[in-house]
Amino acid sequence: MSAILSVQDLVKTYPGTRKSPPVEAVRGISFEVAQGEFFGLLGPNGAGKSTTLGCITTLVRPTSGRIVVDGVDVARHPMEAKRRIAVVPQSRNLDRDLTVREVLTYHGRYFGLPAAEREARADRLLRELQVAEKADAKPLTLSGGMQQRVMIARALMHDPKVLLLDEPTTGLDPQARRLLWDTLRGLHRGGLTLILTTHYMEEADRLCERLAIVDHGRILTIDTPAALKRTLPGGQILDVWVHGGGTLAPRLGGLPGVLRVEKVERAEDEEGGERLRLFVDPGDGLLDRVLQTVRAGGGDLRHVSLTAPSLEDVYIHLTGKELRE
Amino acid sequence: MTALLALLRRDLYVASRNAAMLLTAGLTQPILVVLVFGNVLPRLHLVADEFRTVMLPGLMAISMLMAGVQGVLMPLMTDLAGTREVDERLLAPVTVFGVAAEKVAAGAIHAALAGLVTLPAMMLLMHGVMGAEVHPRWLALLPLVLLAGILSAALGLTLGTHVQPRFSGLLFAVVIGPLMLFGCAYYPWASLTALGAVRYLFLLNPLTFMSEAMRLAVTPDIPHMPLPLLLLGLVGFGALFTLLGTRSFAKRTIL
Repeated sequence: MSAILSVQDLVKTYPGTRKSPPVEAVRGISFEVAQGEFFGLLGPNGAGKSTTLGCITTLVRPTSGRIVVDGVDVARHPMEAKRRIAVVPQSRNLDRDLTVREVLTYHGRYFGLPAAEREARADRLLRELQVAEKADAKPLTLSGGMQQRVMIARALMHDPKVLLLDEPTTGLDPQARRLLWDTLRGLHRGGLTLILTTHYMEEADRLCERLAIVDHGRILTIDTPAALKRTLPGGQILDVWVHGGGTLAPRLGGLPGVLRVEKVERAEDEEGGERLRLFVDPGDGLLDRVLQTVRAGGGDLRHVSLTAPSLEDVYIHLTGKELRE
Repeated sequence: MTALLALLRRDLYVASRNAAMLLTAGLTQPILVVLVFGNVLPRLHLVADEFRTVMLPGLMAISMLMAGVQGVLMPLMTDLAGTREVDERLLAPVTVFGVAAEKVAAGAIHAALAGLVTLPAMMLLMHGVMGAEVHPRWLALLPLVLLAGILSAALGLTLGTHVQPRFSGLLFAVVIGPLMLFGCAYYPWASLTALGAVRYLFLLNPLTFMSEAMRLAVTPDIPHMPLPLLLLGLVGFGALFTLLGTRSFAKRTIL
């Protein structure tokens, strides 16, 4: 695998002020992304995803570590690095004083594209991203999904090697989200390297070829979504919500067919309630045995569900908590 | 360099498209002031006739100061606090200091034009009015207007990167207001000898040098600050605010 992006031992600590202590946003992150790969950084808000992206795009100065994009050291040669990457930022920051078309052509000017080339490229991207009919409109009159597509068109104007997207579908309605997914898949098929941060499991699962799960400034694991799901013990997941069961967890864990029991924390849980996640190898009579154990322990069963593991389960397994939204 | 020029081109393009609005914003205030202080009050014999000649260059300086405030300070303050259009510029192949310097350059051109437009407008308004002795020295005016423009844009950059938007009201009350009143706009520096040593406090105000520069260029018959001191003030303050402004701009944008 030839890496187009390599991040080594990245650390970013935001200095504290009189009122706030220093923040260790990234505490030693390393990963590599191959040419043409669709890579994802998945984690809750505040996990360090955006800071990592900021360091790759030169907008955040790393405390330590090294980032190389297409053979260029980002810290040493930021100008060269900036020509190779493009960013679709989290906040919609289209130039509100220009028209959509001018947003693209001026971006081309910033990168020194000759007139004929930037006009032709703007035409093509307006068409490909389905915003051609809004070419002469001001960005702020466009819907959120359209603005997002214009930002992608703008990013592609200077023909980058790597496209970075920071939570691109946050705040979009389901339809716009699906359209954006299709767009990103199309770009990926066209050979572009894409790096996406998200806190949506479904998005990460559907789009990314490989994923890094990030929490508290560290990478917990990196693999393909399918391989990540396979790391869970047993084949299925049995969620059991009980009330008043006391110390049920060890007893359930001792049942045949139950490989592992985890407690799931949820903020909104009522007092005395408990959510247990059983990683099970389902066989004859498993549900019966679980039910009997709960009753024998004096617990009141509130909910049972048996599911195939999802990325979310992997996440809960790794961090012991649900993804904060 | 290509990227820097493209950024400047974008700013001038947007400004030219909003020219009517910018002209109205820049000209209304000086025209009204000229009408009241240059026309109404002298007729009522409430101010001396010479006042209009004294304040005309001062009003040019104020127009330029306000152009720096409107053109650099306000947009920058909202951009840094929320809209982050600046991030696109920072991702272009330019250094952060280049992006900041371009803001000063665009603001300076804006301010210089504001000053240059104010002058004929006011001359027209006071045409044939007694006691208005305006004889612009164009050759001196152009470089001085440009220096004054750089100074006001750099001041806008410094204030825009230091002040949070929620304090913008306070900014006008306690910074911009006093700058305008104590900047020798409505009285020449030479006349301040009447105040004794207190007059040196006025040298802490960058507008003093802008007003006096316009006085030298537009109403040379009125006593004004000597050219070397004037240049020292314009260049000194211009360099200081450019340095402070670019440094805090870098701090606010690259985390």
